[in-house]
Amino acid sequence: MRDKFIFSSWISLAPALTIIMVLLGASLLYAGAESLGYVSVIGQNEISFDAYRAALDLNSEFWVSLGFSLWVSIASTLISSAVALALAVWLSERRGNTDTLALNWNLAFPHLVWSVALLLFLSQSGLFSRWAASLGLISTPAEFPVLVRDRFGIGIILSYLGKEIPFLSITILSVLRSQAVGYDVVAENLGASRWQRLRYVTIPQVMPALIAGALLVFGFIFSSYEVPALLGVGYPKALPALALRFFLDPDLRARSEGMVISLIITLIVLIVAVISLRMGERKE
Amino acid sequence: MKQGFTYLFRFLLYLILIAPLLLFAAYAFSTRWFFPQPFPIEWTVGTFQRVVHDSQTLSSMVQGVGIAFLVSVLSLLLALPAARVLGLRKFRGRQLAWLLIFIPSIVPPLAVGMGLNILFLRIGLAGTITGVVLAHIIPTLPYTIFTLSSAFARFDENYEFQALALGASPLQIFLKVTLRMITPSLVVAALFAFLISWSQYLLTLLIGGGQIITLPILLFSAASGGNPATIAALSLLFVAPPVLVLAFTARSLNQHGNEIREQY
Amino acid sequence: MTTVNIISLNKTYPNQSLPVLKDFSLSLNDGEMVALLGPSGMGKSTLLKLITGIERPDSGDIQFDSSSILNVDPNKRGAVLMFQKSYLFPFLNVEDNIGFGLKVQGASSETIHTEVKRMLNLIGLPGIEKRKPGQLSGGEGQRVALARALVTNPKLLLLDEPLSSLDTTVRMNLQEAIRNIQRELGVTTIFVTHDLGEAMAMSDRMALLLNGEIVALDKPENLFHRPRSLAAARFMGVSTFLSGSQLPVKKDVCSSSEKMFAIRPEHIRIQKEACKDSTPGVVSDCVFRGEYIEYQVNINEMIVRARMPMPAPMFTHGEQVYVKFAEEYLFEVEN
Repeated sequence: MRDKFIFSSWISLAPALTIIMVLLGASLLYAGAESLGYVSVIGQNEISFDAYRAALDLNSEFWVSLGFSLWVSIASTLISSAVALALAVWLSERRGNTDTLALNWNLAFPHLVWSVALLLFLSQSGLFSRWAASLGLISTPAEFPVLVRDRFGIGIILSYLGKEIPFLSITILSVLRSQAVGYDVVAENLGASRWQRLRYVTIPQVMPALIAGALLVFGFIFSSYEVPALLGVGYPKALPALALRFFLDPDLRARSEGMVISLIITLIVLIVAVISLRMGERKE
Repeated sequence: MKQGFTYLFRFLLYLILIAPLLLFAAYAFSTRWFFPQPFPIEWTVGTFQRVVHDSQTLSSMVQGVGIAFLVSVLSLLLALPAARVLGLRKFRGRQLAWLLIFIPSIVPPLAVGMGLNILFLRIGLAGTITGVVLAHIIPTLPYTIFTLSSAFARFDENYEFQALALGASPLQIFLKVTLRMITPSLVVAALFAFLISWSQYLLTLLIGGGQIITLPILLFSAASGGNPATIAALSLLFVAPPVLVLAFTARSLNQHGNEIREQY
Repeated sequence: MTTVNIISLNKTYPNQSLPVLKDFSLSLNDGEMVALLGPSGMGKSTLLKLITGIERPDSGDIQFDSSSILNVDPNKRGAVLMFQKSYLFPFLNVEDNIGFGLKVQGASSETIHTEVKRMLNLIGLPGIEKRKPGQLSGGEGQRVALARALVTNPKLLLLDEPLSSLDTTVRMNLQEAIRNIQRELGVTTIFVTHDLGEAMAMSDRMALLLNGEIVALDKPENLFHRPRSLAAARFMGVSTFLSGSQLPVKKDVCSSSEKMFAIRPEHIRIQKEACKDSTPGVVSDCVFRGEYIEYQVNINEMIVRARMPMPAPMFTHGEQVYVKFAEEYLFEVEN
């Protein structure tokens, strides 16, 4: 009788899954076809691996961009994980919801806006540069260090830190606060010092969640376009920015190369996500 | 001493969190603020008015709100039955269903956008509102399903059985009991689906192909070489909805905040 | 109001080898309260789901006033439920909760208002219309849940352990209240519980349910004093079973050695001196319970449990005593 009014599970899932599989499947299928040179717009209908060869050629810009993207993603992930760990541990010792609320506040600023804010803060004519000048530290904008749109991606990294530290802190805090009994208190009672408690109780407790979160962060940074496009330089470009440049190139043959790079990014992100998922499962 | 350090630290933390708003306000409402003055001297609403009254800004906001509204409604409609089943039932293939729903939340918008760009060009959806709405559903749908299914997981079906035994029809049960029980999560899911769509840059760019201009696209191009006052004014308009939503939903975010995360 | 016939119900869940209900039959007279007593997981909740229509039986029939309800939609059956948890809708106040059933059936707001008022008086909580479920105590919540269930004039009331989460005093009050309201309204009721005392206190008849089958069905006093089978006797708290040959009193039956006799612990006396028909034994355990004292006595490696009301003689562990079975309370059980 119940089956009469509560549809069987898959019928309920069908609309959502259909949309996802059709849109996602089609987009990846087209991306794959395009990467194999199947560009019907210019009438080329033969499968070829030219785009792969061109993109992965040892002298191509791909390798430079890959290195740059890896540097930015890894640096951002590591620094934000470390800071978030410290921040979360510090906050968890102080009860109250206001801190979590404050951390959530970063959701009010999408990555794009946060990057724009950094631009206005840190550029050579930005707010900090003006403050430095009025303090007499510099006399012309050009003397202010290049912190955004710099060769080393410092601006990009700073932008991600602003978004990912709150995200990871909340992840860790929710693990620390979900414990009904403070293992910390138990350990203290057993005679562990503050440092020992951190080392042997707190960190092992939050590690799976932190690593899972950090991997997601890495995947996101590695594959996102807006921040490096806004705060980066023309050379070296981040991988997604390079892919999009190829894709929007008036020469339609370059599109295939853009697709190749985008597919490689997707593959890497998916692998990282699977590892992250595994880590997350182990937590339960 | 230690207490003082705590307060100082907290103050800094909170300062960093509201700094962007102060910064945008300073740039947007000042004029003739030249290097090396540390703070604006002359205040004006002129720039802001000019930006707001610009026809392109206006149409981009209207379009953005419209798209985000449609995306939010569609995501909820698609997510509700799926989330109910995922939250309440154990069934064969449940893991697979979760995986399929999880994937669009991690496949980079870059890849999705490029692939859909070609597809939509073929079937005539490129540069249309429909096309952009469909593309935005990919990142919003997983999020809506996650939020609603965790609401359903906390939902006790006996409430529905009670209503049933008392004579309510399936439709009455859905409207008067089920929806009411998950309303808080429903509101959060709807608002954040709206925000994810509202702030979407790359997918709009790739599918809208210059025909559909939303605020993030205007902001991005302004930030790539516009004057700071305009950039700041556009930023203020852009963050207004998220700031309002955050202010109103702050309490319930302790449950849901982190599910939204990166899309955005 | 309603007579209920449950006829040969069978139910086996998919992926499970054993049936939850096996040829289950039960009839209730108009206005009768029957308690279903049994350990958890013995098919009691499944039965309620079949009656309300949340699940469908594999075979068998359920009839209200001699007509089958199996093809009636669950929301039109008129079988209302009350659980251990009140399941009052948290977003509605007491008045709207009680009026829910009337409202979904399209009653006018005046009718709802008067009916809610009547029900609140009946449950002894007048004037709490505007309170929210969160502001009610556990006992009040259950009373309101009862009112919500009864306001629609149901054909059958199903109580699924409605009192198990309450403290003893509240529980006693509610047992009485539910019983009185049920009698006053004359609503046919199935009451599921695992508490023997509660079942005896409230029901007209009691059914003992084991492994999906009814092993005994009778008035509480009959079941208590003269359970017919070994299983039923065990259920009713009897722990001393003697074969005919073990009987100290030679009952008049000669072939008694194959028969099984039982006696309730209250009917076993323990004393210091031997007397006619008493059996010697050794005290192996002794628990003081306040109103009574429990002894375990070892008679030739057979443990006998006795329960003697206070004041009773006190014996210590290992003491030599004599056990006397009150002859008139010995009864025969089927093995």
